[in-house]
Amino acid sequence: MSRLLYAVITGVFGAVLLHIIIILGIPHFTGKDAYTRVVAEGAPFVFHRLEVKPDTTGLSSLDPYMRVAVCHFDISRQPLSLVALGSGSFWSISLYDKDSNEVFSMNDRTSVAGDVDVLLATPVQIAQLRKTPIPALAQTILVEHRGTTGYAVLRSMVAQPSFEAEAREFLAEAECLPFTGR
Amino acid sequence: MFRVPLLIALTLIIAFGGGILSSLSALNASVGFGAIRIGVWSAFPAAQTAEADPYAKAHRAKAGRLLYGSAEGLTFTASADDAGQRLTGTCTYRLSGRTPTARLWTLYAADGDGLPLVASADLPTSLNSQTVLRQHDGTFSVTISPTAKAGNWLALPDTGAFSLVLTLLDTPAAGSTGLIGLDMPGIETLGCGNE
Repeated sequence: MSRLLYAVITGVFGAVLLHIIIILGIPHFTGKDAYTRVVAEGAPFVFHRLEVKPDTTGLSSLDPYMRVAVCHFDISRQPLSLVALGSGSFWSISLYDKDSNEVFSMNDRTSVAGDVDVLLATPVQIAQLRKTPIPALAQTILVEHRGTTGYAVLRSMVAQPSFEAEAREFLAEAECLPFTGR
Repeated sequence: MFRVPLLIALTLIIAFGGGILSSLSALNASVGFGAIRIGVWSAFPAAQTAEADPYAKAHRAKAGRLLYGSAEGLTFTASADDAGQRLTGTCTYRLSGRTPTARLWTLYAADGDGLPLVASADLPTSLNSQTVLRQHDGTFSVTISPTAKAGNWLALPDTGAFSLVLTLLDTPAAGSTGLIGLDMPGIETLGCGNE
């Protein structure tokens, strides 16, 4: 009888251990986390528009009033420059690392002059930029990213159908390019 | 003779069965710890950050959503009315009150996977802070019903259980958890079926 009890207790301990391993391990091998899906959208350094209906990667804009574009990047060689001309209505941008942890986020009210102008760089690249400042970057928001890969999500709100064209243009003209000097 | 292998088999069944089932149920049951709850609404202001707990991270990786950053907004969901009954597509509800401070908000009904429900392109299946009609004191009241209603109407398609998603955009609420004193709209059941 006591052996049966031992077996059950050992089993419960094993279950707890396995539970912890599964919960901690899942982020590394689901294969359908946000970063993997964004990468599956297509080429890097381009904003990909998302539709209301989930596309083949499973990503969608979700909120009926939000138009969303995503872009994935690798800044190991050059910083990433995110530029878009503000449309007047609400927009927001957020940057995530490859584990989908937020690195930086802002909206049109927290931006300079209502435009998207962000430079994402590694600590080494930031140090280099500080050493030899580029005048064109005086208004740019510098963001430090400890990793090298990740993705950016750009959202624009369409509160009423008449804002649609503006939001489409805003997302279509947004740039997500490696920074090669201005 | 077979007692020892039997005991080992029992141990392994409990370990693997219990471990896998408990993990699955934990991931399906909740988005993690650290929720802020106001009435029937709940939100996870830290779900997209590196400080999120392991359950939130596992859930996030499994769902694969594009979450809102802290400067973008905060998403509240409700899947029950004020009395604690699950929201179902055959009933009529009234959502009334005010939202916490936010520049804008959007409201839509979502299915079990969190995707917006679409009734028909011509019906109002979503509302936002700019299109909603308000009372003198700034509060608003939205009737959520499968049949047409006067005033603010959120159309429901033919659906079973659903949830309401209220997204606050550019809100100080996302940056703090000191939300407890703030108001969220209440959800009251007006009737079910053809009443």
